Amino acid sequence: MPEMQVMEDRIYDLIFICRPATPEEEINKIVATLEHSAGEHGGKIEKTERWGTRRLAYRVAKHREGFYVYMVVRATQGDIIKELERRLKVSDAVIKYQTIRLDEELKRQQKLVHRRERRAARRPRKPVAAPSSPPQQAPPPVEQPAQSD
Amino acid sequence: MSDQQNPAPPVPPDPQAAPEATAPAAPEAKAAPAAPHSQGPSRGHSGPGGPRREGFSGPRRDSGPRPSGPGAPRRGKRQYFRKKKVCRFCVERIDFIDYKKGDMLMAFVQDRGKILPRRMTGTCSRHQRWLGEAIKRARNIALMPFATEL
Repeated sequence: MPEMQVMEDRIYDLIFICRPATPEEEINKIVATLEHSAGEHGGKIEKTERWGTRRLAYRVAKHREGFYVYMVVRATQGDIIKELERRLKVSDAVIKYQTIRLDEELKRQQKLVHRRERRAARRPRKPVAAPSSPPQQAPPPVEQPAQSD
Repeated sequence: MSDQQNPAPPVPPDPQAAPEATAPAAPEAKAAPAAPHSQGPSRGHSGPGGPRREGFSGPRRDSGPRPSGPGAPRRGKRQYFRKKKVCRFCVERIDFIDYKKGDMLMAFVQDRGKILPRRMTGTCSRHQRWLGEAIKRARNIALMPFATEL
């Protein structure tokens, strides 16, 4: 009997850089193509951000500036990224792209946060003693037996 | 005769037994720097041996706090152990170092673009690894340079 494997969602960060003088319609066209392509392969583009024209740290394709677009892709399979990158590679306006898988890192981050919260909840919180309050654990001074003779 | 055997006796202790004292004194003085177990040389007659002994214990007075660990100074070299640094990410409880934040990552990079070592920034090993990964990702996407010319 085939076991039902739980397909967890994979989350990818996709950043690509377009040439600086690219018209906005072309960028919209690229984004639409990617969204369509992702939808076909069972994925979804959750977020799209346009960071605008930024200065590049080094020359890419003889350009010193580029138009950054940032996307978050959610998918169950990894083949979708191959398809998206293929489209970016074919496009003339895109000079650089990078995809990073982030779901494992986000899982680890959540695990650390969860562990920290659990540890904080388990630890009994000591009452914060104000500096003006008298010490409560000071033993009373008059308890010695006076019958020492 | 005695001059040929012992060209320069340091200090003759007894004027009466001069020829006898110089013979054992000279090899003793010669043996003193070689054999540190002898107690005599720092006291009496060993002129050249004295300051050398005192100077040997010099560097101890520099290191007040006894450092032990990665920043321990070596004798003779410059001390690079400064005050104890704390990992910035551990203090702020940052679990994910975002490669997209170039401004934050720039603080951990030299002018030339090289990643700063852990002992300079005080980062813990775990966060240093994540930091290196984030910087390399940022470099790939041209958010940070690989190398800059000074």
